[in-house]
Amino acid sequence: MAEGGDVEWELSKENIQPLRRGRAISALHQALSQQQDGLSSAVNHQRQGFESELRMYDGEDPLDVWDRYIEWTEQTFPQGGKESNLSTLLERAVTKFTEERKYHEDPRYVELWIKFAEHCPEPLDIYRYMQAQGIGVTQASLYIAWSEEYENQGNCRKADLVYQEGFKKFAGPHDKLLQFHKALQARVSRQVMMNVEEDSGDDEPKAPERVSLAEFKRRGKKKAVAPVNRVGSSIRSISGGVQSLGAPVLGNAANSRLMVFDENKTQSAGPSEPKLEAWAAPPPAKAKENEQNPEKWVDVKIPQKSKFGHTVMAPPPPKPTFQPFVEESDQLPTMTPCKINPAVNTVLSARKACREETPLKRLQEHHQQQKEAESGTPREQSMYCKELVLGGATEFCFEELRAERYFKKMNQEGGRKDPTGVSASN
Amino acid sequence: MSLFGATSGFGAAGAGVFGSATTDSHNPMKDVEVTSPPDDSISCLAFSPPTMPGNFLIGGSWANDVRCWEVQDNGQTVPKAQQMHTGPVLDACWSDDGSKVFTASCDKTAKMWDLNSNQALQIAQHDGPIKSIHWIKAPNYSCIMTGSWDKTLKFWDTRSPNPMMSLQMPERSYCADVVYPMAVVATADRGLIVYQLENQPSEFRRIDSPLKHQHRCVAIFKDKQNKPTGFALGSIEGRVAIHYINPPNPAKDNFTFKCHRSNGTNTTTPQDIYAVNAISFHPVHGTLATVGSDGRFSFWDKDARTKLKTSEQLDQPITACCFNSNGNIFAYASSYDWSKGHEYYNPQKKNYIFLRSAAEELKPRNKK
Repeated sequence: MAEGGDVEWELSKENIQPLRRGRAISALHQALSQQQDGLSSAVNHQRQGFESELRMYDGEDPLDVWDRYIEWTEQTFPQGGKESNLSTLLERAVTKFTEERKYHEDPRYVELWIKFAEHCPEPLDIYRYMQAQGIGVTQASLYIAWSEEYENQGNCRKADLVYQEGFKKFAGPHDKLLQFHKALQARVSRQVMMNVEEDSGDDEPKAPERVSLAEFKRRGKKKAVAPVNRVGSSIRSISGGVQSLGAPVLGNAANSRLMVFDENKTQSAGPSEPKLEAWAAPPPAKAKENEQNPEKWVDVKIPQKSKFGHTVMAPPPPKPTFQPFVEESDQLPTMTPCKINPAVNTVLSARKACREETPLKRLQEHHQQQKEAESGTPREQSMYCKELVLGGATEFCFEELRAERYFKKMNQEGGRKDPTGVSASN
Repeated sequence: MSLFGATSGFGAAGAGVFGSATTDSHNPMKDVEVTSPPDDSISCLAFSPPTMPGNFLIGGSWANDVRCWEVQDNGQTVPKAQQMHTGPVLDACWSDDGSKVFTASCDKTAKMWDLNSNQALQIAQHDGPIKSIHWIKAPNYSCIMTGSWDKTLKFWDTRSPNPMMSLQMPERSYCADVVYPMAVVATADRGLIVYQLENQPSEFRRIDSPLKHQHRCVAIFKDKQNKPTGFALGSIEGRVAIHYINPPNPAKDNFTFKCHRSNGTNTTTPQDIYAVNAISFHPVHGTLATVGSDGRFSFWDKDARTKLKTSEQLDQPITACCFNSNGNIFAYASSYDWSKGHEYYNPQKKNYIFLRSAAEELKPRNKK
């Protein structure tokens, strides 16, 4: 973990997201040398190839296609970011196979979940969900990632407990679990030693100064919310340039770590033990800072009454700027556009859903639809192959589906020219 | 070469009166059947422009060919000529003088087919299949506009191998329409871009889609002064949006309507929702026709906001439609649109193009 100054610098690089498996140099070089905004033609073709493979695959192991697609995406888009579609892909892949028991202990699938968790504002929720659903409970990787997350949040006690849980479940490979656990213990004891040294020399009470370049502890369970008070306990760790400022600052960081061991202090990280909870769906994936719950500003009170003693009322909500959704009935000869069917007034809720939509909600809807399809009758059904059209990260139209099949057939007949199915020659 | 192959004879029984005793659902509307239809799904239909005498119909198909028929006044259809691509043909259009036909294909090329000499030349090249092709006739230039799945919109002077202009789009082009000086392109991811074509093509406006589902077809309509003023956009889930470019009151003037759905009033069974495959506007009345995956066509009056007619259900989806230049003939194609993937594809099933008299049925409803 981060100790020396060099490693700190490595971790601060933002244009290249670190990968657990490391990066292929050739892919990295190619990706970084692309100057223009638009994706290069080659990348487009490769992506199209994967999208097509996702829809055409009819073998026993569909996870393989997703796994390779995601791996390609990570290598080709080192910055991560929206263009890569990575979080969409991860979310889709994870959602798609939630019901597939056979993949629950598949290391590839578990690895996808872990990557997905890392894209979420609160990975701990994801790990707990995984445990509740029985995904990856015998995989060492789950416990390692989970424990690391606790450690990042300064909760070394729980980090340790996670490993205990892993041992209890005989998670494997056992050696790996043991090794990582030992490493954790080593780190923890080193912190303790350093704190013991620093504490003795630290007499004066520190005024809570806002430390620059400090990483903040996430507040709130469900969303990544930048804390309002950026001092003291909000600081999770101090990285970057501040490290070089010297001992007192380090002491501060170490103090926050040390605070964790105090069992009497309340923690914001949740229940004391990883409990099996009845989770309906994994927690939201995207951190949305613009959706903060209103919080109290630092000790500032806003007078509730105007100076004349009238209660201040909130201004009426602004009129929606979109046009109302208008229902048309097929049976009536005339279509009166002004009539809005009150029973199906999805105008406002449609708008609202867009803004509040999170992967959590999406997954819940997905489950709901599946249950509905099994038990009751859905109100409407689309008469086209939704799986194929919406299957991958991007949509396909009917003609694209048909064209892909056509190209595949042509390639098979014409010999092995282009395995992605999109032939470069005319 | 005027024969299309060994299947049917030369204009024999061209009127398509196939012993109307049989009530098989391939032609429930009892419309005129075009002779020698293509051997695979028909992707596009287009009638010759008014500058040409007579009516000539071209149809492109997934059998990699484009065929041309003459439609005679008595309803007889005569196969005239055929051209091939090296991939399925996705779109076709006529030049304004009716001497050339332009065809776009999955083989990433577009061709110009000179009907007089029956020669076809390649005039365009993309990095991906070309989904739409339109002829633009401006006062100071003429060119071809091609929209492709390679996310570009290119404009070609047919005499040069390089495009006059290439515009980048946010996503793959799914459908387009041109009525000078306006062009509209609908892309994947519900993108919608309007271009203006005066002097030279340029992007005019990007519009937030009025529809919630994948865009499938688009057609521009004109106002009383015969100027393009808006478009109709169809989606993959039984809905069409009527959208004006600069309406006095967008909230009231723009609207969407449901179409190509089953079980309208029956609430016990779920309503089946079908894709809208094509939209065409009647050149005289300004009313519109939509054809869908459900194997029906419908006529609508967008100003009176009423439905004029819905056909009986054919046993296959209807994949393309068009009106002839004076609005007397409505042509529609019955073939598989791939809406349910390749499992439902039956290569043995015949494909049809039907012709229907359109003058009466497309008359607008009197406004109340």
